[in-house]
Amino acid sequence: MEKHDKTDYWNWLPASFALAGIIVFIFATFGPPASSSGFVSLLKGILQSVVPGYVGTKAHYQMLPGPDSWVFAFVLGMAIGGFIAGRTLGIPVRDVPEIWERRFGPSRIKRYAATFIGGFLILFASRMAGGCTLGLFISGSTQLAVSGLYFGVLIFAVAMLTARLVYGNTGKEGAE
Amino acid sequence: MTKILLGLFSGIAFGFVIQRIGATSADKMARAHLMMESDIPKFMLTAVILSAVGLYGLQVAGVGRTLILPTSLLATGLAAVIFGIGWGLCGYCPGTAWAAVGEGRIDAVFAFLGGLAGAAVFAHFHEYLVPVIYDPTNFGRLTLVDGIPARPVALLILVVVFTGSVWAIDRLWGHRDVVR
Repeated sequence: MEKHDKTDYWNWLPASFALAGIIVFIFATFGPPASSSGFVSLLKGILQSVVPGYVGTKAHYQMLPGPDSWVFAFVLGMAIGGFIAGRTLGIPVRDVPEIWERRFGPSRIKRYAATFIGGFLILFASRMAGGCTLGLFISGSTQLAVSGLYFGVLIFAVAMLTARLVYGNTGKEGAE
Repeated sequence: MTKILLGLFSGIAFGFVIQRIGATSADKMARAHLMMESDIPKFMLTAVILSAVGLYGLQVAGVGRTLILPTSLLATGLAAVIFGIGWGLCGYCPGTAWAAVGEGRIDAVFAFLGGLAGAAVFAHFHEYLVPVIYDPTNFGRLTLVDGIPARPVALLILVVVFTGSVWAIDRLWGHRDVVR
């Protein structure tokens, strides 16, 4: 296992202040931030041009704005922010994460199939609950919402359990 | 137009910060879930603590807008379980997927495409699913203030519980510099 003594990632505490500053700014200038709704806005934009009649008949597309909205600008901004941050940090990105490769080998097909399924599940679930890690857990808990706290406790617990099942003891090798 | 620019600006700042803490790395996220690295969970919980205090300040000043999502015992809980399985499997959540796609991670592109499919499927069946799984156990837009009528006390409880969680994670999880 290759060892990196230190990474160039930020320390968690100043980063928390930075993120909280942004979140409070968003509450002041818009309202609760969200990101899974951005997927619906994008879909709404695509479907409106492909099957215009369909969008008008579906409640889920009626309750959320299309791409000409704050939420879509926000998620697009997140992609731009990720791009800028990635380019300026200088840690090369991997298409197959290290820990995944150690468990399942270097197959891209296997990894991409898994992330497609994972992505399907998180967005299906987010739309069922009305929000995701950001839109429901972080935004909700910030507003002292019971829904956000309830969702947050369960997603952490289930994700930790799932990761144990997915990775087995892979992570432990070279850890100590 | 101002709304769009505000959204874009907020998004760029948000995406930048979550990349810098490593939340867009599925490797770091998996390590967080496996209790090997504590940065991401401590970051998330501390950001909530500080945001909650900041939002309270906004509310005292009469600035900003809030929107509480309802709690449906069945739908919110079931969704959280499905979400947790997906998150543990792929290491991305909807927000980090956007930023990770921007960062150029191809596995995140597939998570993103899967996400579009998942959202489309739920949107298609919204009319059938919501009355069955969401509405019957919907307790409405509950907050801690419904149980603890004094908002500062409710906030204090959140801060104490979350700070305790950060402390516990710091003690129980591994640290990145030891691990890699």
